[in-house]
Amino acid sequence: MPPAVAATVTTAAARAVNAVKVYGSGQTEVRALDDVTADFDAGRFTAIMGPSGSGKSTLMHCLAGLDNLTAGEVWIGDQRVDTLDDKRLTQLRRDQVGFVFQAFNLVPTLTAAENVTLPLSLAGRKPDPAWLDTVIDTVGLRDRLHHRPSELSGGQQQRVAVARALASRPAIVFADEPTGNLDSRASAEILDFMQRAVEDLGQTIVMVTHDPVSASHASRVVFLADGRIVDELADPTAESVIDMMKRLGGE
Amino acid sequence: MLRASLKDLWARKLRLLATSAAVVLGVAFMCGTLVLTDTVGRTFDDLFADVNRGTDAYVRGEAVIEGDFGDDAQRPRIDDSIVTLVAGVDGVAEAEGDVLGYAQIVGRDGKALGNPGFGAPTFGGIWSDSALNPFTLAEGTAPVLQDEAVIDRKSAKDGKLAVGDRATILTPEPIQVTIVGIATFGTLDSPGGASFVGMNRAAAQQNFGEPGKFDAVGVVAADGVSQEEVRDRIAAVLPEGHEVITGAELTKENQDAVAQGLGFFRTILLTFAGIALFVGSFIIYNTFGIIVAQRTRELALLRAIGASRRQVLRTVLIESAFVGILASIVGLLAGIGVARLLKALLDAAGLEVPAGGIVVSTSTVVTAFVVGLGVAVTSAYFPARRAARVPPLAAMRDVAFERTTASRVRVVIGVVVVAVAALALAAGVSGDGSLPMVGLGALATIVGILILGPLLARPITGALGAPLPRLKGMTGVLARQNASRNPKRTASTAAALMIGVSLVGFITVFAASAQKSVNQVIDDNFVADIIVQGSGGFGGFSPRLAEDLRDLDEIEQVAAMRFGQAIVGESSAFMMGFSTNVGAMFDFGLTEGGIEGLGLDGIAVNVDYAEENDLTLGSTVDVQFVQGGRNAYEVRALYTDKILAGSYFVSTEAFDRYTTEQFDSMVFVTARDGVAATDLVAAVEDAAAPYPTAEVQDIAGFKESQAAQFRTLLNLIYGLLFLAIFIALLGIANTLALSIHERTRELGLLRAVGMTKGQVRSTVRWESVLMALLGTALGLGVGLLLGWAMAQAMRSEGFTAFSVPFGQLAVICVLAAIAGVVAAIWPARRAARLDILDAIAAE
Repeated sequence: MPPAVAATVTTAAARAVNAVKVYGSGQTEVRALDDVTADFDAGRFTAIMGPSGSGKSTLMHCLAGLDNLTAGEVWIGDQRVDTLDDKRLTQLRRDQVGFVFQAFNLVPTLTAAENVTLPLSLAGRKPDPAWLDTVIDTVGLRDRLHHRPSELSGGQQQRVAVARALASRPAIVFADEPTGNLDSRASAEILDFMQRAVEDLGQTIVMVTHDPVSASHASRVVFLADGRIVDELADPTAESVIDMMKRLGGE
Repeated sequence: MLRASLKDLWARKLRLLATSAAVVLGVAFMCGTLVLTDTVGRTFDDLFADVNRGTDAYVRGEAVIEGDFGDDAQRPRIDDSIVTLVAGVDGVAEAEGDVLGYAQIVGRDGKALGNPGFGAPTFGGIWSDSALNPFTLAEGTAPVLQDEAVIDRKSAKDGKLAVGDRATILTPEPIQVTIVGIATFGTLDSPGGASFVGMNRAAAQQNFGEPGKFDAVGVVAADGVSQEEVRDRIAAVLPEGHEVITGAELTKENQDAVAQGLGFFRTILLTFAGIALFVGSFIIYNTFGIIVAQRTRELALLRAIGASRRQVLRTVLIESAFVGILASIVGLLAGIGVARLLKALLDAAGLEVPAGGIVVSTSTVVTAFVVGLGVAVTSAYFPARRAARVPPLAAMRDVAFERTTASRVRVVIGVVVVAVAALALAAGVSGDGSLPMVGLGALATIVGILILGPLLARPITGALGAPLPRLKGMTGVLARQNASRNPKRTASTAAALMIGVSLVGFITVFAASAQKSVNQVIDDNFVADIIVQGSGGFGGFSPRLAEDLRDLDEIEQVAAMRFGQAIVGESSAFMMGFSTNVGAMFDFGLTEGGIEGLGLDGIAVNVDYAEENDLTLGSTVDVQFVQGGRNAYEVRALYTDKILAGSYFVSTEAFDRYTTEQFDSMVFVTARDGVAATDLVAAVEDAAAPYPTAEVQDIAGFKESQAAQFRTLLNLIYGLLFLAIFIALLGIANTLALSIHERTRELGLLRAVGMTKGQVRSTVRWESVLMALLGTALGLGVGLLLGWAMAQAMRSEGFTAFSVPFGQLAVICVLAAIAGVVAAIWPARRAARLDILDAIAAE
């Protein structure tokens, strides 16, 4: 049994406790998550790293209520996630979780502004105008609000996605390779916005990435391999992340 | 390449089926029509072959007046001396006079059986032991006494009549007979649903014909004498005004007459099948258009690795050919079921047709395949060509959406076609009106809207969906956006529905206007208090009823109307006879002369007809009635009405003089001063009691019976159009399903960021409703315009009123919205069931 690392810490925005995810059965069984226990602290920018097939995306999907665990528990704040039905999961995603995907983040028929407030509109709620202004200014979208996604560059589209993820002031934002499709300049911009969202606006972000430079924007990096947490790093730099990857790869 | 197409096809079985369904229904309707008409035709062919089996030659009057539908030609009667003459001819073994007249049996419940004006004939004739009599006694004995009769077994069953019963026969005078025998027709209860009353020769002549006269003489040839020989020998001795044909020729004639009637009926049904197929072709076009758009990358890859444009074109066309073949096979099989359904529909509408064993002819099978395959491949051709034009480079690009901008060419052509439509309609409604111009205008309007559809789709769905965001929040916004995001697709989906709805709208508006016109005529022109008419508005009753009514104290005046076939000038036409006092009951809008003086050789003529034929008071019109030669009738009255009186009419006396059977189809009655309405109705009803086919109505009842006739016709047309509309709804479901497939990632995203399953369903549902309403709005717009144009063009025919039945149109809109909801059920469920992770990961 691994130690219940931070089970007593109450400031965790999201927690996985002995999380197990198994795909298939018998000969073809794959353990994507093999007894993962982890806390993701509120007000912090955490990166999850690992090679392809390490289970990093699965962990994020389970934390976000997009996928079901085979065993174990997942919590968002004080809400246990893995026992919710589809309707409550949907409400949880809508109200408590923000998402930034690698690509296809926006609804093409809606304007940038409508995309930003989409989760709120789906809930039938009005956005908090002051917060919305702050978010929009943070990502620098003011002059692009009435454009449709097809009229925006890839970097602008991801900025809209970040703004959407933050607009409902969620308990936690999950970002899945948010810069995977961008050039280095646009990537740096997006990571910078995410960092500011955490540092200046007090948001919580968990980002899945395989890029050491991206990971270096986080304040903590969790390393996964073969469905287990194998190590972690606080206040990482690109170099320290690469070193760690080499070390883990060499084991 | 062929293998690749086939594999691809198999991988998408469900879509193949859904797409085929659109053509299946049209093919099934078409095959059903062909099977039904072939079956009915064969039944009649066999029937006539049986009826005429014993007949080697047939002698009859030479002059003929053709009826409207080929099967009701009338000839003058011949003298019974002809029988003796023919019997004396060498080679004639037997000659029998034949009477075929109207005889309607009244059942035990007092109701007349059958409806000769609208269904199988009800006839009476001579019962003989001759080989010429196609009936055989199943029970009882042959009629001997003047009041004895044999009836067919179907009538006996329907009317609950048995041997020994007294029964009433309308001839049209009601007569009392004793049923002494029940006859069958071979093994059948009745020949094709017709009813038959057989009496001895004198009684049959007396009741169904004319004493001393026959309608024809049937001849059996002596052994060894051929039909042709006996015919030629008889022809040599026949006096002028008579003709003789062989039994085979008679059978052929009978069969052709039925085929002609069936051809008319077949054309109508095939028209509706054609509409359904046309609508189906939109679905195929649309489906393949979407498939090609979705497969752009795959097709580009094929091109990149060396497939030629031709090969790409072929893969798409092969898929459509499979759709066509599948649709043809299923449609053909379903057609046999449809044939039964159509028969039931026609039975329900009162058009009972006899049908024996189902006949599926080779030509039906061939037609099914040619049409099914043709529609599928032709409709898929344009999308296929677009597929062939996909550049290999598209494989490298992100999945491209269909181009949605309307081309300049489309706009120009569309505007030109709409301009043509406007000009044609304007020409059609101006002056006396021109129906061909209205027809051209109608066609151009529909084509124009089809061409401009993609331009109209966005603004109209935008307007129709305007309240949605407020009503449904974000789901409403998305539904509205989705409905107009691909205007070309939305337009062609809605177009399929538009076609059906425009026809429904047109028929509804036109019928409402026609009915209003009729009501206006009734209100303005009818002075009568009571109208007696044949049941259901068809058929007739004995003129003796009018005589009976004249004797009633409650009644001031009685006038009768009857109609039949005559040759006026050169053409065969409906000819009416009115009592000359009818001017007191109905305002014909007399401009010159008077009806009272029509007499035996006068005619009243509508002013328009008079103008067209250069007729004035005192000029003459040649009219030939069935029993008389050609006579000149002097124009003694000119009138403006068209609804009741048509183009011309004569007096009842003139009418009776030369026609064989006299029915009154309407009798008008005015009350004596001071007689209460209820007393009048009661008195007339009492008088009409012995005449079961006469219906007594006051003006309100008469209006209602007219309205009921319109409704029956309307319901029949609605029923036939339902298929086209149903196919269009399948099209909406299909387009939605394909669009949803295309939007998999978007739906995954929406679900991830918090859209509930219910909201997903609601979005799809409202998109569907918007598409359905778009089709309905366009359809009703077109239908209203065309209904108005048609009514305007027919002003000179007496269609003086235009009426928009808003209530009915509102009902159509509500039904369309409901249909939209229903069409969305399956796609909405699929959309809501998408697995979020799969959807996000989807390419």
